[in-house]
Amino acid sequence: MDGKQTPAIEALTHLRSKICNRNSIFSFSSDAPDSNYNKLKFIVSNSVTEACNNSVLLLGSRGCGQVEVLDLVLEDLKAEYPEIISVVRLDGVLHSDDNCAIKEIAKQLCSENQLLFSKMASSDDNTQFMMAVLREYGLAHKTVVFILDEFDLFAQGKQRLLYSLLDAMQSVSSQAVVIGMSCRLDADQLLEKRVRSRFSHRKLLFLPSSKEDILRLLKHILTLPEDSMFPRDYVITFNKKLHNMFEEAKFKEILDTLLDADSSVHHVLNFLFVAVCNMNLESGYLSVENFKTALLSIQRPYKLDSLQGCSVLELYILACMKRLEDKEQNSYNFNSVMTEYKHIHDSYRISDYYARNVSLRAFEHLLQRELISFGDSRGQNQSIEFRPVKLLISSHELLQGLKLYRSCPALLQKLMTGELNKMKAHLVDVEMID
Amino acid sequence: MDKENSGQVTKRTTRASASSTPSKNTLSNQEEFEDMDKENSPQVTKRTTRASASTTPSKNTLPNQEEFEDMDKENSPQVKKRTTRASASTTPSKNTTDYRPPSLLDNLVFREQQSIISQDELFSTFPGRKCQILELLRLFGPINSSLLPIFLYGGPSSGKTSIVLHIFKHLKRPFIYASCRTCHNPRLLFESVLNQLLLHRKDSSNAYSSAKRCDKPSDFVNMLRESLMEVINSLRVNSKKSGLKESGEQGIGGMVYIIFDNMELVRDWDKDSVIISMLFKLYDILKMPEVGLIFISNNSPDTYHLNTGSVEPIPIHFPEYTEDDLYQIFLRNQRDPKLYSSFLDVVLKDSCKITRCIDELSTYFRLLFEKYCEPLSGIGRVPNQDMKSKLYMHLKPHVTPSLNEVFRVPSCLALELKENKEKVGKKRNMRRLGDGVVPDDIDFHMSVSAKYLLISTFLASRNPATLDAALFDSAGGGDNTNRKRRRK
Repeated sequence: MDGKQTPAIEALTHLRSKICNRNSIFSFSSDAPDSNYNKLKFIVSNSVTEACNNSVLLLGSRGCGQVEVLDLVLEDLKAEYPEIISVVRLDGVLHSDDNCAIKEIAKQLCSENQLLFSKMASSDDNTQFMMAVLREYGLAHKTVVFILDEFDLFAQGKQRLLYSLLDAMQSVSSQAVVIGMSCRLDADQLLEKRVRSRFSHRKLLFLPSSKEDILRLLKHILTLPEDSMFPRDYVITFNKKLHNMFEEAKFKEILDTLLDADSSVHHVLNFLFVAVCNMNLESGYLSVENFKTALLSIQRPYKLDSLQGCSVLELYILACMKRLEDKEQNSYNFNSVMTEYKHIHDSYRISDYYARNVSLRAFEHLLQRELISFGDSRGQNQSIEFRPVKLLISSHELLQGLKLYRSCPALLQKLMTGELNKMKAHLVDVEMID
Repeated sequence: MDKENSGQVTKRTTRASASSTPSKNTLSNQEEFEDMDKENSPQVTKRTTRASASTTPSKNTLPNQEEFEDMDKENSPQVKKRTTRASASTTPSKNTTDYRPPSLLDNLVFREQQSIISQDELFSTFPGRKCQILELLRLFGPINSSLLPIFLYGGPSSGKTSIVLHIFKHLKRPFIYASCRTCHNPRLLFESVLNQLLLHRKDSSNAYSSAKRCDKPSDFVNMLRESLMEVINSLRVNSKKSGLKESGEQGIGGMVYIIFDNMELVRDWDKDSVIISMLFKLYDILKMPEVGLIFISNNSPDTYHLNTGSVEPIPIHFPEYTEDDLYQIFLRNQRDPKLYSSFLDVVLKDSCKITRCIDELSTYFRLLFEKYCEPLSGIGRVPNQDMKSKLYMHLKPHVTPSLNEVFRVPSCLALELKENKEKVGKKRNMRRLGDGVVPDDIDFHMSVSAKYLLISTFLASRNPATLDAALFDSAGGGDNTNRKRRRK
């Protein structure tokens, strides 16, 4: 790479920052009249203009744009009604503790109103402060929007925060909106009775986008703007190639495989990001190959990958465990696995037989890789050999992994496929003849 | 010099942390040392793995390791220089004299002129890792381009950390490195990240305290956001100032990268996995496109079971080295490549069936190679076919015993009580008794009552805690709690 920035590099940087800026991506899906954007905007703006309290839950699986759509709504409303909307953001991951959450609310309200926040204030002081601020806001006809991300985590303890927030919603003097976001669809069922009765039971469901939407999204993101600093002919060829590619059957196939696994927008964005990163900088255009490699690196068969990393000895141990499970032995530990290993060794005369110490180390590796795990959390001061273990990998995966494994001993595969019984019979025959 | 400064920051952190918890300090110090090694010299990959090999607890590795270090010093002047530096940074008196007001760029970037490494050098330093390096370089992209969180995973000693650090050295971009092994609780982790961002160094003048006290995730995010803002702003100012001058060569730019190493350990920190979901969500929480997050872990992303689920970062797999890769890696920095390659021909294939983990193999090979060389009178002779088979015959009987020696897994008890070496020794003896193996003779005198005490501690350690309470608590602790429960 030399110092001179080629259009390809500039385009790459442009596309990357576009993908990373998630808010702008959702802006384009907001035009439909019944979109969540419009519904949410109606609720919040209602509260702003009519001076009433509201509460709403945004539900839907992760990465479907709850946060982004909400941000867009707030951004637009702030532009529409300047200086009368304050936003308080909480996150269940950070503030699931009630005291901590109240403190954070007080802190954000302080910085919003250029007040000095006292670190020493007790939780009680902070609650009173919050109530006072809410009252003042109501009198001044200003709206506070409380955003509770990971709403389900707030419902863990005594729900004091939720109660005091939703209780404040009941009074006429305040003017606030509580917006909860959660990936649990049953989030409102987690609430206590006293909290639930104060909640408005408005819920907006965010669904993963359909294939058509995703395709539109792709076009929206990847198309380069014509009126920009890029050379004009470069942009035209880039966009033309892109649109030709979207029509290709191969590309559609890739997109289908991607969406079959997970059609949330964030997942698609990750995929796009990798694809764009793979763009060939010399030619400067995206190709189907880029998307293909991106798909492979986004959707990895994790268990199979980690099987490929195993040594032959580790595979033997896995096979032994599998055999023990086939024999319906529901609890076993390293010692029983070793007995099985020895048994296999004795009956089939395998060449790869290692001492107990060595096998134990391999066993530890498997634990580290999390292909196997301890059956229970009890007995943590026991040695590894004596604790019950279980397989974390299905027999199908194991079989598939063995097939892909380079230089896998033939016997090991036979062990798994059950052909061994035949072989054993054969061995017995041979011995009889001898 | 600049590098030394950055080295000290991390080094210091461990020391302070070590003093707070004596139990882990041996481990964490070592780890940090490794990290430093990796950062400092481009050709240490081989050596670091060796150093880490000594974590596999077999007794004879330790003296050998020293030997190796000596050897390395003799071999290359560059390494020697580095060692002295590292040792200089450990003496606090020198630090204070060297003290300069830290400037941002000096601290967050590798900035030594001589240490700029080219892409080819990267490939040659890490044999068998070209794919991963290229993929990472592509993801990091040109300067000033934003990055979605990425997640590197692969078995131990597969080069994850050192490759990432070397790539940053190659790209010359500012980054922050925090290992969850050295920072073994949330507070240390948070403070270590903040210290690096705020260019704070723990030393005697500030009583080895952190820049900010921070143990709650919520505080961390607030402080992190503030300090990141500052750093990014100063980067922006800097790039404007030197924009013309430095546009010719790559480096710095407006991005700050945060690397979290050893993520798998965070899973054991807390039961409700708050910290781990916080870290994975950090990108969404911060909403700063100028911040790139990099997670490094031994385990693949599917092993992170979170009760609330999370959006997965972009995974990058570091597979185990293949046999050919291992061959190349072990041949690097050998004094006598021909002899060693004939040695590898003999042993590598079989040992790959047991493990492909470099640090274990290197310990094992070191033992075997000594045995292998025994019949040779002088080093430097190229063995012919005849000699090779002779050597092989000599080696053969040693294979199994050294395998057993190297791969011995210490008992779980021994691991727990490692802080007290003497105790461990005794415990081991006791354990062997328990297993029915012939006990080693105790080579020192012990009074009878001491022996009884030992046996009873051993028994007590194997009992569940509740049983102890029921038997020995004079107030009958167990009963009381039961009664209370019943009343509820």
